[in-house]
Amino acid sequence: MYQLVKDFFNGLWNENPTFRMIIGMCPTLAVTTAAMNGIAMGLATTFVLMFSSLLISLLRNFIPAKVRIPCYIIVIATFVTVVDLFMAGYFPAMYKILGLYIPLIVVNCIIMARAEAFASKVTPLRAIADALGMGIGFTWAITLIGAVRELMGSGTLFGYHVLSENATHWVIMLLPPGAFLTMGILLGIMNVITRKNVRDTQCH
Amino acid sequence: MNQYARMIVVLLIFSVLSGAVLGFSYEIANPKIQEQAKKDLEASIKNVLPGITKYEQVEKEGITFYIGLDDQGNKKGIAFKATGQGFGGPIEMMVGYDPKEGKLTGLQILSMSETPGLGARIKEPAFTEQFKGKSVNDPFIPKKDVQVITGATISPAGVASGIKSALEKVTKIYPVGGDY
Amino acid sequence: MKELFFIIAGSVLVNNFVLSRFLGECPFLGVSRKLETAVSMGIATTFVLTMTSVATYFIQFYILEPFGLSRFLQIVSFILVIASLVQLVEMVILKTSPALYKALGIYLPLITTNCAVLGLALLIAIKRYNLIQSVAFGLGAGIGFTLAMALMAGIREEMEFADIPEALQGAAIVLITAGLLSMAFLGFSGLIPM
Repeated sequence: MYQLVKDFFNGLWNENPTFRMIIGMCPTLAVTTAAMNGIAMGLATTFVLMFSSLLISLLRNFIPAKVRIPCYIIVIATFVTVVDLFMAGYFPAMYKILGLYIPLIVVNCIIMARAEAFASKVTPLRAIADALGMGIGFTWAITLIGAVRELMGSGTLFGYHVLSENATHWVIMLLPPGAFLTMGILLGIMNVITRKNVRDTQCH
Repeated sequence: MNQYARMIVVLLIFSVLSGAVLGFSYEIANPKIQEQAKKDLEASIKNVLPGITKYEQVEKEGITFYIGLDDQGNKKGIAFKATGQGFGGPIEMMVGYDPKEGKLTGLQILSMSETPGLGARIKEPAFTEQFKGKSVNDPFIPKKDVQVITGATISPAGVASGIKSALEKVTKIYPVGGDY
Repeated sequence: MKELFFIIAGSVLVNNFVLSRFLGECPFLGVSRKLETAVSMGIATTFVLTMTSVATYFIQFYILEPFGLSRFLQIVSFILVIASLVQLVEMVILKTSPALYKALGIYLPLITTNCAVLGLALLIAIKRYNLIQSVAFGLGAGIGFTLAMALMAGIREEMEFADIPEALQGAAIVLITAGLLSMAFLGFSGLIPM
């Protein structure tokens, strides 16, 4: 039990995929023009992460080591397509905004990295705890980035006006440079809080 | 079982299961996706042709027209799609046209990739409302006939020229004052 | 001809894959410490991108669409094709040119998980490019990626000697630099009718 709690909290802070590991940057930077987009992208990724981790952990003794990567790819791509189809059918407005970046969850390094480094080595329960922690860790991080960009770029938060009508909108925050700048500065703030520097990305 | 046979069998099982799951999900989700697309189309037609309750789809000279009808079945106007060249890519829009009056009845931007906060404001009613009631013979010159958005002139100009070039074709098929 | 030029220039400058479409961020942030390795990575990726554009063109328009499979088998088939293609390219380079393999070899397996490759395949399907346009798009995407990698690596090599506040050292300053680069590329927007 203690182990499960530890696995779960690991992704929230200590090994947060966005701020500590710096992986899965494509969706992090691309869709975060509003806080709500961050939540939607985060939940979609969490769904894929949980189910693929569970399946890979369950089948870890069945998959031959040599073909494990193609097997993981098939599993992940299948769940991503399921998310893609159901999102298009049931959440069309959000689907239009996230567009291309839903299919691109397949190549989000977080999922492959957790499958290879964690889910394929532990029991299904631990794999789920880890996937849930990583997924929620990813979700809060990109929602925070989205909130900062939305607040500065359009003066709203989750679509509600919070700044006065006269506040200057920093359009640059909604454009590509705003994504890089927000992420860089937030990372700097995280470094101050944790007093540990992220020297480089853990992508590869 | 030898090692290679096992690898092939495992991969085969994965592929077949994946195909089955996807086929099944598609069967469930596809009707919903189609329904959504239809709903979106209907909403945009009703938006640009105020007061209609149903519409008929007509194909003429390669263009799809949606003829709007009210409760009594009276023709209230024609909606059609137009494309303009914006700053970040094509701008797709739905235009409402009333041949009886020779006027536009509404405009809705369907899809575009303009700059958020600047060009993307062509989506806002503050911009689209100005086309309501505009004569189809209007020259549609930006800054003169068409109000532009501060900091973005290319996107509104794209909308204006998109409407104008579409109207040139449409008014030949459904001339002003003619029957439809 | 003019159209092909627009596609290439558009994907190199206006809609640069890395700096404005946010595709291929991982290698851009992770493998950009040295100019030489960054350029090697860029060339290897360009190679794979161009091959992918041809392969996915045929799969999308000659297999998936005629049989009505596009909506639900597209993602699975594209990613599997990309993974096999990367393996194939790796084997071919190893057999034909050991020197080239030594230079690019270690980067090749990483390219499978580069968003730029799958992103390119999906964009070709969305934009409905023909074969030549697809190749031009793949090539342009690769050149744009290499350009961004080279610029970033060049700046990072100089930055080694800069006095950077402690909290911003490492990935944070790289991201801020990327933001400034992206701002510079913003100047190209609207240059070409897309």
